[in-house]
Amino acid sequence: MIARPQRWDAPFGPEMSDADVERLLALPEFASIDADDFPKHTPLEGILRNDTRIVRYRAGDIIVREGDYGNSAFLVVSGNLRVVIAPALPRNLIGRQLSKKKNFIEALGQLWSNRTMPEVRDTSRYGGQSVREGGSQTQTDARVFLQDIPAVLDQHNTAQLGPSTLFGELAALGRVPRTATIFAEEEAELLEIRWQGLRELRKYDPTWRATIDARYRENALKVHLKSSPYFDGLSDEELDEVADATLFESHGSFEWHVSYKRMRDQGKADKEPIIGRQGEYPDGLLMIRAGFARVSIKMGNGERTLTYLGAGDSYGYDELWASHLGNDVSLQTSLKAVGYVDLLRVPAPILEKYVFNKVGHHVSSPLHHLATRTVAQDAPLEWAVEQRFVNGTMAMLIDLNRCVRCDDCVRACSSTHGGNPRFIRHGRTFDHWMVANACMHCADPVCMIGCPTGAVHRSLETGAVVINDDTCIGCGTCANSCPYNNIRLVDIRDINGKMVRDPDSQKPIMKATKCDLCETNPGGPSCVRACPHDALKRVNFQGDETFGAAIT
Amino acid sequence: MNPIAIRYTIIWGAALTGLTILGVYTHLAELALERSEFITGYTLFAVMLALALFNARKKLAMVPLVRSAYWLAIHVVGGISAVVLFFIHTGSIWPSGGYEQALAVVFYLVSLSGIFGYAVQRINPRRLVQTDLEIIFERIPAELAEIRENAEAEIRACTEETGSDTLARHYMETLSWYFRRPRFFVNNAFGGDAGQHWLRNQYRTVNRYLNDAERAYLDRVNELAQTKAKIDVHYACQSTMKNWLLVHLPLAAALLGLMFWHVIVVNVYAL
Repeated sequence: MIARPQRWDAPFGPEMSDADVERLLALPEFASIDADDFPKHTPLEGILRNDTRIVRYRAGDIIVREGDYGNSAFLVVSGNLRVVIAPALPRNLIGRQLSKKKNFIEALGQLWSNRTMPEVRDTSRYGGQSVREGGSQTQTDARVFLQDIPAVLDQHNTAQLGPSTLFGELAALGRVPRTATIFAEEEAELLEIRWQGLRELRKYDPTWRATIDARYRENALKVHLKSSPYFDGLSDEELDEVADATLFESHGSFEWHVSYKRMRDQGKADKEPIIGRQGEYPDGLLMIRAGFARVSIKMGNGERTLTYLGAGDSYGYDELWASHLGNDVSLQTSLKAVGYVDLLRVPAPILEKYVFNKVGHHVSSPLHHLATRTVAQDAPLEWAVEQRFVNGTMAMLIDLNRCVRCDDCVRACSSTHGGNPRFIRHGRTFDHWMVANACMHCADPVCMIGCPTGAVHRSLETGAVVINDDTCIGCGTCANSCPYNNIRLVDIRDINGKMVRDPDSQKPIMKATKCDLCETNPGGPSCVRACPHDALKRVNFQGDETFGAAIT
Repeated sequence: MNPIAIRYTIIWGAALTGLTILGVYTHLAELALERSEFITGYTLFAVMLALALFNARKKLAMVPLVRSAYWLAIHVVGGISAVVLFFIHTGSIWPSGGYEQALAVVFYLVSLSGIFGYAVQRINPRRLVQTDLEIIFERIPAELAEIRENAEAEIRACTEETGSDTLARHYMETLSWYFRRPRFFVNNAFGGDAGQHWLRNQYRTVNRYLNDAERAYLDRVNELAQTKAKIDVHYACQSTMKNWLLVHLPLAAALLGLMFWHVIVVNVYAL
């Protein structure tokens, strides 16, 4: 018998004391909040105690990096920070990998330079990294820092962020990459608010809501609306009106990978919160900003997946259009969050005013699908959504009807990674398709969230999710987060083949490893090139067409 | 037409064109009373060397040397073309001369092992898919050991709970043989159903002596045996898909050696 787990069983900052909470409540950002607006089960004090933590940074510490994914926002309590405007900091300064493509001769050189011992590293190169431990002395609190702040200030255009500044909230709530690098100019104290707390603050306090929404409207919403075919051609004034009326919503959980892994281990399907239910009346156009949603229709005693929607897709237009024509039409399909979905709801009156007359009805309905596809034809799609593989942009799909299990792909991977394969030719199967345990380079890369040094990042050149071995501290955050178990922690050896150990604890030094799409090797992924039987493909699951083309 | 079919069509087209040109050239050479064997022999030698490069390509996976799938297509088409070339070169299926006959034997064995390997690699993957189970070859011993342990645990539990040793006795006498290691290799490799037949027979044989409580254990042991039967199919099919190369590659190496010596001898005595 155990007590039912509660939301705040695992506080964000376990060391938060009563005094800390009282001090935070005295800050102007929280002092102005009416605590009575918060429900009893989610009091303001509880949010501060459990969903926030106080973090102290030393001068030069990088707080957030451009391109990182994060699930928390920051409020400056004391000290000054600097946001780098232009030019961006060199990648090696912020813990990124400077990937240089090998030429043919260098690539061929691996034939004799690859080691027979596994996971050998030249440990001398680790010394020069600007990584230091954080205040709590835990591995996950390690930070990359800038060694020469005056030089950075001299060579880069920066802006100062002082006390009471809130930043990082759009990346935290919208699941989008951070847009700038921010570092501590001097000793600074910040309040880090995890997304759950931020969501509650936005939900229950009008001031926080107004601040966050205004920031989003100001920084991103108009750009997003402009890129939509529905609002293309509207004047700035009209777009302003649309933006003012648009509502922001998020469905599902940021930590969807946690519940997904748990449910998968139990052999069950993960829960999918309903966003729009078949048979209900639509009140606005839903536009997906981030994440994935499943469009389904009732069939027998279950739900048949018609398609899935990702960033840039929309839902509900058909029914709204029919209503505009005077027909009484409810939603023909249901929309459910697959993991986490962040979306915009554009109210129907706005569409009546600006969209229907200009756009008309050019968008094909997902219901056309029913006339052209059989249930059997849709089974792979159903499976891919169920397994959350739709997140993959370069998933390794193996046709088992063609695969002779020769492992040429594994050997090729090994030969391009110093003798160490970076995937396992095993994975979930459907009919004669297998999605192997190789990094899928996800559209929503949850592995990147929480990496303390930014070692896991998206390559600027290829968009692949890669790990900088030099700044990886082996904390395992990424491996634990990956919903597909595609990241592995390995014990490393020095060039003499001896295990590398921490001098104090004598524990082996570990590094996170995974497929990097052979980023530094010429010719693209060697696994694909090495397969003699055309069995192995790298597949973008986003969009039925690509997936359909891969499996037919 | 899918890309693979297009690829093979192009390569077949090139091979047939090459063979036709060679045939015409050889015919013209014979009309001119020249030694056409030199033309066909050196062409065959070049083709064999090119075929052997496929193995080298596999070792050089780190460099972009055209996708391996193209190499395989060239290897398959080139291999079949080499047989045609061989007949053109020798003028018969059984050349005269002891050394040449030895060469022919090795050539035929390489060709046959190649055809066997190609056929196995086209047939076996589908058979493996049909087992509804996927397992890495190197993990098979561990999986079998785990299945055996589970089966024996069921047998022990059955004896402890029911006080009857009927199932345990049958296991010791018969079933332990099955669970010990992969069985029915040849039958599984050729797509037979002997393993399932044997299991059904054993199930029926012992079932009549068991009560309901013991039957529940027998059913669970049977489930484990069914899983083991699938693994046996994987073992047989995957072994065959790997091990044919242990015949093909040494023979190909021997053939290359014999060919080198043949070329040297022919040139020494012809000059």
